[in-house]
Amino acid sequence: MLRFLASSANQIWGDLQRSLLRARTPVAARPKPTANGAAYPPLQRLILTDGVSRTLFEEYARHRAEARGQEETGWVLLGLRQAVEATVLATLPAGAERDAGVAHVRFNCEGQAVGSRMVRQLDRRLTILGIVHTHPGSLRHPSDADYAGDVAWVAQLRGGEGVFGIGTADGPDDERSTIVGEQPKPHLLSLADLNFAWYALGAGENTYRPLPVALTLGPDLARPLHCVWPIIEAHAVRLERLHRQQAGVSCDVVAGNSGPALAVNVPLALPEQSLRVLLEGKRVRYFLVRDGELLAVDCSEERVDRAVYLLLAELAE
Amino acid sequence: MDFRPLTDTERRQLITALRGNAESDRVILMDRRDTSFAGSADEVTDEEVITAIKSVPCHY
Repeated sequence: MLRFLASSANQIWGDLQRSLLRARTPVAARPKPTANGAAYPPLQRLILTDGVSRTLFEEYARHRAEARGQEETGWVLLGLRQAVEATVLATLPAGAERDAGVAHVRFNCEGQAVGSRMVRQLDRRLTILGIVHTHPGSLRHPSDADYAGDVAWVAQLRGGEGVFGIGTADGPDDERSTIVGEQPKPHLLSLADLNFAWYALGAGENTYRPLPVALTLGPDLARPLHCVWPIIEAHAVRLERLHRQQAGVSCDVVAGNSGPALAVNVPLALPEQSLRVLLEGKRVRYFLVRDGELLAVDCSEERVDRAVYLLLAELAE
Repeated sequence: MDFRPLTDTERRQLITALRGNAESDRVILMDRRDTSFAGSADEVTDEEVITAIKSVPCHY
């Protein structure tokens, strides 16, 4: 009982801290074209694919049931920035190595960076649209501290504008809730006790503005990666280095011996030949692919980039 | 279908997009409801995306 009271008091205090200093001044003039040269009118609508929407609700519900369920969590959103609307096509999770507590979350950006490369193998137009993060209480609006960071960050996004989602678990969790999603307001999506409220913020604007959201059929292009995200996080720095240094590196999620695995392909100079690194759990295995044939390579090096260069040196003999 | 003449701004944007498509393979966006011109978009570089991801601020 005492713990419940302390937890409730913490949530109320957190909500108060978030909302006390919120800017209430009107929206400023539109920003000028951003450094990437693209000029876009202000966003009028956000489109989520059903795949992305499912990911957000399912993973938020799963997160709340985990040991770290009291912590804030979140996702980076990738998608297409169109004239007045943005379509979210992929979610990159905060990761197990995130820095988070009941009142903050900082994503593991190393995992998300290499994850973005894997997703963008499918479509090079995919860009970062914004982020979603959760609040432990009932504040369905970004906090003032969020604003302080976001208003500077969005300047580098397409159109100098970002999309921000706030997840809360403050809906009715009883017989009134349904198993069907609802949209109580144009910028709010709900399923059972979970809510996601959506906002846009442009560089130089004084406050977030509610962003109407719509659903369409489509995938979450990053969802297959979520089941191997611990592997991605574990090898992120070395995979990122490999991507930077070697042209044509690609990754796939494949079936491993005991579950999904991450396959990293490094093309060789000769046609139909490549190195394949198979990452499954804590195991790392190496193969030479030659005319469709898979030849296992005896290499005990667990540092992926180092092993690849050792093997390339062997092949250059 | 709306066959009205383009405004100066729309014409300028369309010409820029067509030039970008012809010279630099830039994508031209089409409104899926009526196939009208809906702007243009470049392929986005890895650097642009990764720089933005690595600078996502802490959220509260």
